[in-house]
Amino acid sequence: MRRRARLHALSRWSGLAPLAALAFLFVLPIVWMTTTSFQAGEKMFQLTTEWIPSVWHPENYGNALSRSAFPRFFLNSAIVSASVMLGNVVFCTLAGYGLAKFHFPGDRLLLLVILSTLMLPLEVTLVPTFLVIHKLGWVNSYQGIAGPLLIDAFGVFLMRQFILKIPSDYLEAARIDGAGELRILRSIILPQCKAALAVLALFSFRDSWDQFLWPLVVVSRDEFRTYPLGLVRFGDDYGNPPTEQMAIAVLATLPVFLLFLVLQRALRKGFDLSAFKG
Amino acid sequence: MAFVMPTILFFLVFKYGPMLWAMGLSFTTYDMMKPPRWVGLENYESILRDPIFREALANTLVYIAGSTIFITLVGLGLALAINTRGPGRRACMSAMFLTNIMPILAVCLVWRFLFHPHGLLNQFLGPLGFGRLDWLTDSALAMPAIILVTVWRFAPYFMVVFLAGLLTIPPEYYEAAEIDGANAVRRFRYLTLPLLMPVTFFVVVVAALLSARIFLMPFIITGGGPGNATRVLSMLIYETGFSYMKMGRAAAISVVLFAIVMVLTLAQMRLFMRSEEEYS
Amino acid sequence: MKHASNGRAVTRRQAIKRMSALSAGAAAVTAGGPRVFAQPKAPMTLSFWTFDNPQQRPWIHKRVNQYMEKNPNVKVDFQWFTFADLGKKVSVGYATGTAPDGFVTGDWLMPTWLARNLIAPLDVKLLGYSSLDAFRKDHADAFVAGAIKDGQAYGYPLWFYGFCNYLNTKQFKEVGLDPVKDQPKTWTELGEVAKRLTIKQGNKFTRQGFKFAMHAAQWTMIQFNPIVSQVGGQWFDASGRCTINNEAGVKAMTIRASLARQYGAEDPADSIATFPLPQMDWLKERCAMFSCHPIPPAAIKSQNPVMESEGYFLPVQMAGVTADKRYTTCYGFNFVVNARAPKDKQEALHDMYRFIMSDLVDCWQATAPFTLARKTGWTDDPRVKSFPHVGEILKAKDNGVFFPRTPIWTELADAMHRAVQKVMLNNADIKAALDEAAAEVDRATAEFKKA
Repeated sequence: MRRRARLHALSRWSGLAPLAALAFLFVLPIVWMTTTSFQAGEKMFQLTTEWIPSVWHPENYGNALSRSAFPRFFLNSAIVSASVMLGNVVFCTLAGYGLAKFHFPGDRLLLLVILSTLMLPLEVTLVPTFLVIHKLGWVNSYQGIAGPLLIDAFGVFLMRQFILKIPSDYLEAARIDGAGELRILRSIILPQCKAALAVLALFSFRDSWDQFLWPLVVVSRDEFRTYPLGLVRFGDDYGNPPTEQMAIAVLATLPVFLLFLVLQRALRKGFDLSAFKG
Repeated sequence: MAFVMPTILFFLVFKYGPMLWAMGLSFTTYDMMKPPRWVGLENYESILRDPIFREALANTLVYIAGSTIFITLVGLGLALAINTRGPGRRACMSAMFLTNIMPILAVCLVWRFLFHPHGLLNQFLGPLGFGRLDWLTDSALAMPAIILVTVWRFAPYFMVVFLAGLLTIPPEYYEAAEIDGANAVRRFRYLTLPLLMPVTFFVVVVAALLSARIFLMPFIITGGGPGNATRVLSMLIYETGFSYMKMGRAAAISVVLFAIVMVLTLAQMRLFMRSEEEYS
Repeated sequence: MKHASNGRAVTRRQAIKRMSALSAGAAAVTAGGPRVFAQPKAPMTLSFWTFDNPQQRPWIHKRVNQYMEKNPNVKVDFQWFTFADLGKKVSVGYATGTAPDGFVTGDWLMPTWLARNLIAPLDVKLLGYSSLDAFRKDHADAFVAGAIKDGQAYGYPLWFYGFCNYLNTKQFKEVGLDPVKDQPKTWTELGEVAKRLTIKQGNKFTRQGFKFAMHAAQWTMIQFNPIVSQVGGQWFDASGRCTINNEAGVKAMTIRASLARQYGAEDPADSIATFPLPQMDWLKERCAMFSCHPIPPAAIKSQNPVMESEGYFLPVQMAGVTADKRYTTCYGFNFVVNARAPKDKQEALHDMYRFIMSDLVDCWQATAPFTLARKTGWTDDPRVKSFPHVGEILKAKDNGVFFPRTPIWTELADAMHRAVQKVMLNNADIKAALDEAAAEVDRATAEFKKA
């Protein structure tokens, strides 16, 4: 009996080994990035990897941050991404709710039309969108960068699909009881959508954190520059060792990772992972 | 409905306005300094005759196909591997998921170093018997390199999607199949796969959609090279519009890309419209 | 006010003294010009954009700040962008009415701006020259040719540099070569010398004899253009058709490919060159020779402090630069003025440019060895003369042949870059690759004519 239990435990743990190896392989480039960010400049081009630096150079971080206005750039990115995340969470939920639970002529068509905006590549709408932003007087401003990113069609779709699954009976019952639409939204819909909201929040933050081409077009002053623009420009200056570029890359990775950790619990609600507790 | 109004307004101003303006532009010649001048279908004729456009089109289709196939296969494989009982599964899943949320610019910069002839990837493959692989300078390897990074970045996301799908299959089905004498392979083929069809379809179409719009990866890692080996349509649009200042022509190329993506998305729409009759 | 004008007068006297010690042409500069550093009348804000470079940008910024101090009612909004993006930002700016009032442009883009009437003709008198002729004489022909059109100057040349072949003298001596006596003068000699300097371990190069830059279209053109000139090739014929695929063009590309294909001294796929440091392979001593613009000591020090401190490097004239065909490559940057800027801002910009360019020795001290386009005002200064190897660097600048001047420069460079990649990385047939490139260029020309 005990031997069987031990064998059973062994098989479960041994199943972990190849999986862990696979996970490690996936994560290796991230480890490489981190390790390189602590190396001296010359190590970058020695082209043999020293996984644990023989000499640590944490000053890469300080140097990189002071050589270019990165604290400002990161702040700008943070403000823009937080706004975009908030905008998406609010408006995609509203629109998703409207499309899922309210039927009006052309609602299916409207969904298709909204989704079709995902199909056009960004590059060609850059100039006309810039013209719109320019007319609004939002060039070189936070609203200018965040504006066109505020609502993503994919987010609308995601919320619609999720809200669709909520039984309409609950909503009917609440309406009969006299609850207003916003109250219904707050007390019934939102709590059921935690997982979807977490997904929406994470990916809308990540996507706007990643943005390069759009800020490149709309920003021409350091005051509003976001970190990707700063990082590419930083790489253009030979006084900045590539290891410092890696340092900035590591710093850029942290906020998204942190957000992921914070939202993990809510994300898991979406998937029944109780099978893993074993 | 009032709830949808703000979204509709937003899309009109920031998406549809620019989109229609751009489509109209495809029938003009516009270098951004003088007002656009109508030229009818000339841009379309011109790009169809252009060998570089044809090459970029082929590259894009190859890229979409290659990425989608491997993202699906690897994503499914990872999901199946994770979907076993035991400790540490959740940690492994979270670790792999990190590749999906790492900033794309960091991804591009890091992989550009990893792909060097004497870089990390070759350091791993060397002992396995591969000769020197010029990932970014050999035209036969450059596109596979970009596809490799794409799979690395997106497979974990779809692993989670597949996993959610796998978890909706009641375990009783598997038990029943086992009692009936089906082995693991048969169980997978006749039980798992069919039940995963909707999810697989979702994965395939969304992966294709994402690949069609890829820009930063080839832009930063290979610059479209060597020659035109990794020049995809989105890069061609950017170059034509912003380096050569031919916005009308760029708009025409983007309409072609739009058409390709529309076909892919319509397929997705049909699937979802059908399956959701069950819900609302 | 009196004190201020006194200060200015002293400066002018000093300037005259310095300049009249130089060539006769310099006298024309100060004779008929208006008062130096005239005060713009009303308060104004100028927008000015330039590209990023670790020495050049801070120097311009410094001079702009000094100008603002001297002219308190002028505020300059100074912005800079990556080298590759500046042209695009300016283009988008013009399209949307947000282009800067003044900017620095690469000289190869002058035809692009001129073809669309985007930059304003300059009043050389406001820059301190008595006439266009005086302006012309103060610069080498190759530089101003791109800035002058229809009897008007449109750009004020700032930095222009020629390319030298940088030798690693330590590696030369290692294989028994004398860097001074054995420096290669012809392409054949370059191949032979490079072969001797090459060290291989199996199929892996430990040291390449000579490397060409492969990382950017701009550099492809920089290094290929002079070869085309040397063999008597032409980019375009009289009707505007691209002729790079003719016999001379094939010969030029064969020479380009010879280092790798014929002499086995180069591995085009193996490079650690980066955009800011195209000479990285040479700095890390992975290759013995590299054709490059003047390399600042700080750049050498940043990657190879020993090479800098011991000084085991030597810039010499690039191969193929013979007494009769003195064609090395050169390119540079001009100050320009937005044609759509209001008149008063244009005048203020002239004033600012003149001020920035009034102390070129200061420029040299901050940005050496990037050479300046202007002949007068700096080359005779002892601080300039004492710079190591400055003679070779200046010779390269003065022997420079410029890029083909065409409004489809970017398309041309991209087409050639692709051709070189096909030839060097995919082992393509040279004639076929050049045929494709020429066809691409002709298509671009046709597109441009349509617009």
